[in-house]
Amino acid sequence: MTRYVVARLLGMIPVLLGIVFVTMLTLDLIPGDPVALMLGDNARPEEVAALRAKLGLDQPLAVRYVRYLGNVLQGDLGRSILSNRPVLDEIADVWPKTLQLTVAAMVLAVLLGLTTGVISAVRPGGLLDALVRLLALIGLSMPVFWLGLVLLYVFAYYFRLFPVGGSGTWRHLVLPSIALAAPSIAIVSRMTRSSMLEILREDYVRTAWAKGLGERLVLVRHVLRNALIPIITVIGLQFGQLMGGAVLTETVFAWPGLGRLIVLAIFARDYILLQGSVLVFALSFVVINAAVDISYAYLDPRTRSL
Amino acid sequence: MKSQQSNRLRSLSIALLLLAALVMSACAAPAQAPAGETGAPAEAAQPAAPAEAATGGTLIIARPTDAVGLDPKVETTSPGNWVMSNIYENLVKLDTDMTFKPALAERWEQLEPTRWRFYLRQGVKFHDGTDFTADAVKFSIERIKNPDDPGRSASNLRPIVAVEVVDDYTVDIVTDGPYGPLLNIMSLVYATGIVSPAAVEQYGEDFTRNPVGTGPFKFVEWKTNDQIVIERFDDYWGEKAKLDRVIYRVVPEESARMLALDTGEVQMVMAPAPSQLDIYRDDPNFTVHETPGVRVIFFGMMTARAPLDDVRVRQALNYGFDRQAVLDNIVEGAGYLPTAYISPPVFGWTDTSEYFAYDPEKAASLLEEAGWVDTDGDGIRDKDGQPLSLLHYSPRGRYLKDAEVGEAFQAAMRELGVDVKLEILEWGTLFEQLRQPNFPADLFTLGWSTATGDADYTLGPLFGSNSIPPAGWNSFEYKNPTFDELVAKAGTSTDQEERAQLYAEALKILAADAVVVPVFNTKETIVTSANVQGFAIHPIDYYLWLGEVSLAQ
Repeated sequence: MTRYVVARLLGMIPVLLGIVFVTMLTLDLIPGDPVALMLGDNARPEEVAALRAKLGLDQPLAVRYVRYLGNVLQGDLGRSILSNRPVLDEIADVWPKTLQLTVAAMVLAVLLGLTTGVISAVRPGGLLDALVRLLALIGLSMPVFWLGLVLLYVFAYYFRLFPVGGSGTWRHLVLPSIALAAPSIAIVSRMTRSSMLEILREDYVRTAWAKGLGERLVLVRHVLRNALIPIITVIGLQFGQLMGGAVLTETVFAWPGLGRLIVLAIFARDYILLQGSVLVFALSFVVINAAVDISYAYLDPRTRSL
Repeated sequence: MKSQQSNRLRSLSIALLLLAALVMSACAAPAQAPAGETGAPAEAAQPAAPAEAATGGTLIIARPTDAVGLDPKVETTSPGNWVMSNIYENLVKLDTDMTFKPALAERWEQLEPTRWRFYLRQGVKFHDGTDFTADAVKFSIERIKNPDDPGRSASNLRPIVAVEVVDDYTVDIVTDGPYGPLLNIMSLVYATGIVSPAAVEQYGEDFTRNPVGTGPFKFVEWKTNDQIVIERFDDYWGEKAKLDRVIYRVVPEESARMLALDTGEVQMVMAPAPSQLDIYRDDPNFTVHETPGVRVIFFGMMTARAPLDDVRVRQALNYGFDRQAVLDNIVEGAGYLPTAYISPPVFGWTDTSEYFAYDPEKAASLLEEAGWVDTDGDGIRDKDGQPLSLLHYSPRGRYLKDAEVGEAFQAAMRELGVDVKLEILEWGTLFEQLRQPNFPADLFTLGWSTATGDADYTLGPLFGSNSIPPAGWNSFEYKNPTFDELVAKAGTSTDQEERAQLYAEALKILAADAVVVPVFNTKETIVTSANVQGFAIHPIDYYLWLGEVSLAQ
C-alpha cells in the first residue's frame, strides 16, 4: 500500500513539468505581447524593448523554462507582469476562495447526489425515481451562468434572501455553490442510481435479503458500499470539473477566486501570473486524482498491484 | 430508439425550463413597485452595510474589473484610476467641465517657452503624516521617468526633460521644446499623481498595495478581485470628504451589477447595461449620469494599399454607412453620432460631421467615378476583373458591441456593392498587428481615447507620418505633409487660441481625406441611487472624484 502511494505521488512530477512546458509554449505561440499591451497607446518600441528585457522576455523559450523551473523549486513563482506583485501573493489571495467554493459545491454534490441516487434506486420506475431523474436532467442541461442569473434573480432580487455577489459570509456562499454544484449533483445522482441498481441484482444481495436483514442494513452495508467505487471515480472527476466550472460561477457571482485571476492573466498575456495560476490549478487536479486512485486501492485491494 | 427517447426528454425539459423562466419573470415584474415604496430597500437586504445618518456613510461602487495596482507607476486602466483619483492629487486638476483648476499647485506661469513654474500649496500633508513639498513633485515625476525602470505611463512624460526645485514650495518643469499641452500632462493621475516619497521608500515594490498620497481619501484595504476600501482623510488640506468610506466592489457580470443596485447593495454602478438604462431613467429611485466621452470608435482604413489608396473609395465608405441606425439598434443609445476624429469635450475639437453624413447615392457615384462598377451582375462592384472586396479585422468585447457594429457595416457595404469580409480577432492579437508595419487587412476596428483631453494626444500619435508602425499607431500609413505641419505647430505653440485653430484645420483635412470611418462617439454613463448627491461625471473615464459626494438620508 505505502509503495503504491509513493509511486503514485512520484508519478505526479513529470505531469507537472509537462504542464509548465505546455503553458509556456502555448503562451509563446499565441500572438500578443504582454509588454506592448501593458504600455498601451502611446509607448515607443524602445520603451517596449526595455521593459521586455527587464522582464527577461527577450530570452529564448528554453532558457525561460529552465530558469522558471529553478525559481519554482525555490518557491518563487515570480512577479506578475501586470500588477508587479509576487504571483504567490496574488494566488494566495484568491486560491482559498476557489477552494471554499469548490468544496462547498462538492459537499452539496455528494450529499444531494448520493441521497437522491439512493432514493431513485430503491424504487426504480416509481414516482420519486421519475422526479429525481427529471431534476437530474434539468441540472445537467442548464448552463451555469444561466442558472446563476436565475438564482440571483429569484433569491437575491425577488426574495432578497441572499446578497447579489461578493464573498465574506456563509450567505454569500449559498447561491454560487448551488449554481456550481447543479450539474455535479445530477451526475453523482445518476451514477449512484445505476451503480446501485447493478449491485442490487447481485446474488449476495439476494442472500442478504433472504437471511432477513433489514432494508437499511442491506442498502447501506451491502449495496452502497460496493456501489461506491464508480461513484468515487465520478466524484473525483467532478472535483476537477467543479474547479474548471468555478471560472464562470465566479464571474456571475462576483466571487474573487482563482478562475477569474486566470482569465485576467490570459487577456493581459501575463505569462508569469498565468503559469503560476495554472500550476496551482494543475497541482490541485493532480493531487485529487492521486487521492482518488489511492482511495480505490483502499476500497478495493485488487487495484493495488497496478 | 433510446437516443430518440432521450432527445424527446431533453426537449421536454427545455420546454419546462422556458416555462419556468416565464413564470419567474412574470412573478418578478411587480417586484419593482414594493422595492420603490420602501425607498430604501438596502436595509432589508443587507443589515451589514453601515448607514449612520449623522456621519457621511459608506458609498459602495460596483465595477466590472479590479484595479491592476494603486501606484501611478503601475496602473494605466480606469478601474485603478477611479480609486487613485481619490487617493492622489496632481498639481493641476482637469475638472469635469474640461477646464484646469488649481490642485496641489495654487497657481502657475510660463517663464519661458520651455519652462513652467508651479507655486505649490503650503500645509499639505500626505496620508502618512509627512509634508508635501517641491521635493515630492520632483520625486514623483522622476520616478515615472526613471530610464532604468520607467513607469508604464512614462511615454506621456516624454516632453519633460527636467524637474527643478526652486524652493520648498516652488518647482519648475522644463520641456525639451515649447509644449502646448503641458497642463494636460500635469493633470494625469496615472502619470503625474504625487506620491509620498517616504512611503515609496518604506514599501518599495509593495507601494502599489500601500498607496499614500494627499487626496481626500486614504487607503484602507484591498482584497484582490473582491473589494478596495478607502476612508476619509481627516487632515486633508481642502474641504474634507463628506463620505466616511468608499468601497469599490468587483462585479464582473453586467446583470448582476444592475441587480446589486436594485437591491441596494451598491449605490453606484460603473459600466451599466446600456439596454436597461431607460428603466433607470424613468425610476425616481435612481439617477443616470451621462456625458459625451473622449473616445471615438472608428474603422481605420489602410490608405497605402489598393483599393483604399483611392480617397474616393474611402469617402464612399463614409457616405454609405448609416450610423444613426447603428446607434439606435446596436449600441442602444450608448453613444453619439461622430462629429470629428476627436470628441467634443477634447480641446481642439471642431465639427466636421458633414463628412460623415449618410448619403448612399453620393457613395455610389463616388465609387463609379473611381471605376468600381458591377459588370458581372453578382451584386459586387468590380474593376479590371477584380471584385471590390475588403478584409476587416475587429475585436470582440473590447469596445461596446464592436463585432456587431462590424456586422452592421458589412451589411451596409453589401448594399453599396462592396464585399467586406469580417474577421474577429482576439484583442491581444489585433493589438500586436496594429503595432507592426504593413497592416495585413484593409479595415480594422479601433477606439481611441484622448485621455489627456487635448487633441495633441490623438492627432500626432495616430495620424502623423512619423507614427507609422512600429513607431506609432498610424496603421493607416496615412501621409500628409500639410497635416503633419499643422499638428507639429499646434503641439509647440502655447497660445491656446492659435492651437485650437490649427487643430480645427487639421481635423478638416483628416475628414476630407477620409482616413477612417468614424462610427460613434462614446458616452460615459454611471447609474447611482437617487440619494447619491454632489456627484459629477467626468468626460474622461479615468476620473471619478468622490470628495464632494454625499449620501442623502
